[in-house]
Amino acid sequence: MKRRTVLKSSAAALAVPMVGASRAQSPTTVRWWYHFDNPQASPASLIAKFEGENPGIKVQAESIPWGGGNDYYTRLYAALVAGNAPDCAMVKLGNQSRLLQMKALAPLDDLLAGWAARRDISENLWKMHRAPDGRNYYVPLQYVVLYLYYRADLFAAAGVQPPRTFDDFLKAAQAVQKGGVSAFGMRGGGGGHDHWGSFVLGAGANFEPGGMVSARALEANRWFVELGTKHKLFPISAPTDGFRQIVDNFKAGRTAMTIHHIGSANEMVQALGDKVSAVPVPVGADGKGWTSFGDESNAVFAASKVKEAAFKWVAFLSTGEHNVAFNAFTGQLTVTDSGASKWNLHPKRFVDATAASTALMGTLPNSTKTADFTRTVWPQQMQRALLGQTTPDAMMQAFERHFHG
Amino acid sequence: MIDRRSRLRRFVEVELPIALIVAFALGPYVWMVLTSIKPEAEIGTFPPSYIPREATFVHYETLAARTSFLGNLMNSLIVALGAVAVGLGVSVPAAYAFSRFRFRARNPLLVGFLVINMVPVVLLIIPLFVLMRQLGLLDTFVGIVMGHATFAIPFSVWMMTSYFNALPRELDEAATVDGASRLQAIRLVILPLAMPGIVTTGIYIFVTSWNEYLFAMMLSGQNVRTVTVALQSFIGEFSIQWGLLTAGGTLVAIPATVLFLIIQRRLVGGLTSGAVKS
Amino acid sequence: MRSRPVEPLLFLLPALLVTAAVILYPALQTVWLGLHSFVLFDPDSMRFVGLGNFSAIVADELFWISLSNSVIWVVCAVGLQFALGLVTALLLNQTFAGRSLARALVVVPWALPSVIIGLMWTWMYDLNLGVFNDLLMRVGLIDAPVAWLAQPGTALAAVILALVWQGFPFFAVMILAGLQTIPSEHYEAAAMDGASRWQTLRFVTLPALREVIATALLLRTIWVANSLDVILVMTGGGPGYETHTLPLYAFLKAYSAMEFGYASALSLVLTLLLLGAVAFYVRRVARQALA
Repeated sequence: MKRRTVLKSSAAALAVPMVGASRAQSPTTVRWWYHFDNPQASPASLIAKFEGENPGIKVQAESIPWGGGNDYYTRLYAALVAGNAPDCAMVKLGNQSRLLQMKALAPLDDLLAGWAARRDISENLWKMHRAPDGRNYYVPLQYVVLYLYYRADLFAAAGVQPPRTFDDFLKAAQAVQKGGVSAFGMRGGGGGHDHWGSFVLGAGANFEPGGMVSARALEANRWFVELGTKHKLFPISAPTDGFRQIVDNFKAGRTAMTIHHIGSANEMVQALGDKVSAVPVPVGADGKGWTSFGDESNAVFAASKVKEAAFKWVAFLSTGEHNVAFNAFTGQLTVTDSGASKWNLHPKRFVDATAASTALMGTLPNSTKTADFTRTVWPQQMQRALLGQTTPDAMMQAFERHFHG
Repeated sequence: MIDRRSRLRRFVEVELPIALIVAFALGPYVWMVLTSIKPEAEIGTFPPSYIPREATFVHYETLAARTSFLGNLMNSLIVALGAVAVGLGVSVPAAYAFSRFRFRARNPLLVGFLVINMVPVVLLIIPLFVLMRQLGLLDTFVGIVMGHATFAIPFSVWMMTSYFNALPRELDEAATVDGASRLQAIRLVILPLAMPGIVTTGIYIFVTSWNEYLFAMMLSGQNVRTVTVALQSFIGEFSIQWGLLTAGGTLVAIPATVLFLIIQRRLVGGLTSGAVKS
Repeated sequence: MRSRPVEPLLFLLPALLVTAAVILYPALQTVWLGLHSFVLFDPDSMRFVGLGNFSAIVADELFWISLSNSVIWVVCAVGLQFALGLVTALLLNQTFAGRSLARALVVVPWALPSVIIGLMWTWMYDLNLGVFNDLLMRVGLIDAPVAWLAQPGTALAAVILALVWQGFPFFAVMILAGLQTIPSEHYEAAAMDGASRWQTLRFVTLPALREVIATALLLRTIWVANSLDVILVMTGGGPGYETHTLPLYAFLKAYSAMEFGYASALSLVLTLLLLGAVAFYVRRVARQALA
């Protein structure tokens, strides 16, 4: 008969505080959390290089399961609350405002000022990652920009050009939808706000007070929802389709267009070869549009006792050739100008589509309400609108209420 | 002599339904196994292909050689067996007490264990994480085993109580009449007869621990990673590694099934006639 | 047998200690949080609201939708799991060639983690690439693929089917073990009295299994009522609110909106409702367990 006695805290090993200032004798350890899509990829080679260049700093990299994003962030928030968060971690813009409100992030402006390779990252990228208080907490690591995949062969067979404006899109979609192939693989599940954004934010809606319920915004959303409900251009599974479904169905030849990014380009080419190509998402007649900027950065946490060392590691990862090496693991694009000029990890047409789309890049507002919007509020309302359980206008009103009460 | 008609009847009434049920139980699993031996290019085609044109074991090879999956299987095994040991070790005595004794706190405690069952684990995750951190049990086998055992205990107590209740009190009395102490009565008479129940409860704890994700994800780290957390790592932000995922999923079901194959003989054996002369 | 008062407590002590240490404290914290307005990323604005969360819940339309979905969910999932599990156990208790193998194979659905089950079933339900649509069309039962998980009419049923598949082995195993405790003399006596198989089942087998069945149903109901991982993976609560159950709603409030106060209050309501249902059930049906 076993007995279990509760372990007393005094007997348990409490976390030993990290060594602060770098001493010649004892190495500083930097704990870094990351997530790679490919479990076979390992940052070991980069770590070895960094430690070679920086004797006295050891990097302890921990791979945290992504779990759709939720597990990674649940772990991070829990660790921050419990007081054993890492020194630095991969983070996205959507969480910046929450982390700031928790006072979890360390401002990096002083450290950035002394970092030479900072200039290799465009000022535009820095601006997009800056916090509303004007300080830089995030160091850009990699990015993708969403563009429109299309089946070049189906378009050629129907005699239409890949669409440039929203009106082009409707006409092209109607032309290529035949033989059981849906025109547009729309993503109605979590994360699908990117699709909606291109057509609705791109046509004039915005997240300012009143921006979701202006005449233009309501009109744009009605038009988008009707693509599905009236013109039947979306597959009937669209309401719950996630990224896996839209990519798999496009690869299997069941949809003629979809919106995604360069992260899937290689597997698309593997399945479809020359039949797949990409252009920027459709824009309005005035040339204005919106496409999602898929970001990923590293941040250093305020509670870290080794901020300078952590910053060195973070800066290393965003420097020139190291950044490119990192991107080979993740399949995304380098943030450095030097790396971009010699890019060879993806077929050129997709890199070109990405480059052409940067003019349309936008992010969701830096608000604490954003994460809930993307994960729960947008999918619920979009699904209900597609199924006719709510009107498109009511959907926009719900968004307005969510952000501005 | 069995005439042909009743043989046919038996087939229709026993073998056929069992075959259908086993087919239902195995169908999705077989689909997963078939997927795991397809080359990457053949997965996710339209229309779906069933029998792979050329079977390949490359996903299994990758799983074994290039990921930590086999080590994770071992971790899961250790955690699950530990949870069974702790869980049974704690709930069998408790259930015996609930079944054989009558004391004032009995009903409130029984109900208390039931209510604990009702607490949704999901909301406890963050406070639990903080607690485990304070106890220094993060990323240790002990931490996860404790967590799994604890959440299995309320259920196990109730199930074991009902199995003990099924054994008549006369058995205990018969043993003591023959001169045995209470502990001897338990060891020599009650436990052997309750073995089917104990085994079943043990299986339940094993399976629950084996499949558990939330707890393992929060409390594990680099040193202790169970197989459920490892499987999640094949589901990325931009891609799902279907080959590795289905290969892993195929392997994951095997230990529990094999264990049950071995154990299920112990399920047979209950009250033999003549044990109780009433 | 006369027992000293301290004896039962000695048997109970390990269970009580472990449970108190690991569950009780966080559980009490959840109760405490339910009385506050608490948003995880805004810890400074935490304030006590007493029953404010609960009155908000009563006025919350989505709460009532989740509740009704939960009721359908529990009744159908547990009911079907039980029915199939009972039939399976009775069959597995017979003698036939390959019985040991059948007993082991039936356990397979139960031996898989929820994430695998969710992903595989979602894939099987896929509009274009899923085997259900493919097989049903080949056989001629449908002539166009159905979006099982994206339609209001079928989404909940589709997820329930996945859960029935996952859970029926549990009942099969529990009841099979219970069947082993029925002495063969009971069956012999019934046979000598000329009872048909159906009568034997009704008057010998089921009454003897009564307590095991009642306990298994009770515990499984609690478990299914609280479960959300399969739904989360398969539909995330959608489309719309179709597969929103109460625990899923609480989960989204906690981990998406980060409103831990409201989410804790929701789980407390769920716990209280379960407690009420269980008390009613125990009083009427499972009296023996507490006798």
